[in-house]
Amino acid sequence: MIRAKEYDMDRFDRSKRIDWVNIDKIGRARCLVVGAGALGNEAVKCLVLSGFRDITIADNDSVVTSNLNRCVFFRGSDVKEGMKSDILAMRASELDHEVTITPRRTLAQDIGDWDEFSMILGCVDNISARLHVNAHACYHRIPYVDGGTDGMYGKVQVVLPDGPCLQCSMNRSHYGIAETRFSCTGNGSVFYVPKMAAEITTTSAIAAMQIREAVKIASGREDICIRNAAFYDGMSGETIVLEIKKDDRCANHEEE
Amino acid sequence: MGIHVLVKNATLGATLKMDLGPKETVYDIIESAAEFWKKDPRAYVLRKGKSLLRATDTVMEANILNDDVLELLPDPEGG
Repeated sequence: MIRAKEYDMDRFDRSKRIDWVNIDKIGRARCLVVGAGALGNEAVKCLVLSGFRDITIADNDSVVTSNLNRCVFFRGSDVKEGMKSDILAMRASELDHEVTITPRRTLAQDIGDWDEFSMILGCVDNISARLHVNAHACYHRIPYVDGGTDGMYGKVQVVLPDGPCLQCSMNRSHYGIAETRFSCTGNGSVFYVPKMAAEITTTSAIAAMQIREAVKIASGREDICIRNAAFYDGMSGETIVLEIKKDDRCANHEEE
Repeated sequence: MGIHVLVKNATLGATLKMDLGPKETVYDIIESAAEFWKKDPRAYVLRKGKSLLRATDTVMEANILNDDVLELLPDPEGG
């Protein structure tokens, strides 16, 4: 016997109608979101609404007014008062009280317990942090979905164990940019992140693509993931998926 | 005799003809194209068809052929 309109009483009824989506497996995934800025806000929103139940958010930054054009969970009253990870965890929890969202006020470089997680979402704003997260994901064999934006352009790269990683696709232009972010003041080094063009439509599209890949991975469907990176052009609306060759000379694959 | 390719700029829509020797690398193409278009200091990658080319590969290793069309893409860094 069924109850009339029973289907409207299940939060994930519509998700379950997509035949490859496995809500039970998604609910058991342990996600680490590195970065609680624009991509982090959109990614956590999509994770919660997609059925992920265990989310950890790592970020060591506080909210500033210029975040408010693209961070759905931040408010004007949060400026200077709150840490991004704390506020994102608190507000995103309101979407579904059965989700555990744990904020950590930490840099990617200070995360120590990588193997506690079954999936990593990269929502960071610089190449050095990306390389750091990528190296740990490869070492611990944790699936990693990285997102990046630049104005109306964006990219999503899926890094699976045994596949090509972020570093396999990087070149001297990446390392040159990473170097320019550091400067020596004489009293220590300063990490400088330039102010780049950023708006919500591209951010939202890229984060949504990241979480779609996360849903595939958590559902046990790595076979239908993007191989290997999707480049999005918000001006033309075009997305191209490019294959990346695994680089045997890459430091993350040398001992495999 | 060199290999002649057309390099497209994904952001500007412009194109550039480039002559290559077999020992030049994919990164040489990226650097020359970025310099020609006076691109901002950003990270770039190069694609041929549906493949992202490995920057350390030579023109020969990357199987870049005469009249190939390559595209210079920005690799977005922001989050």
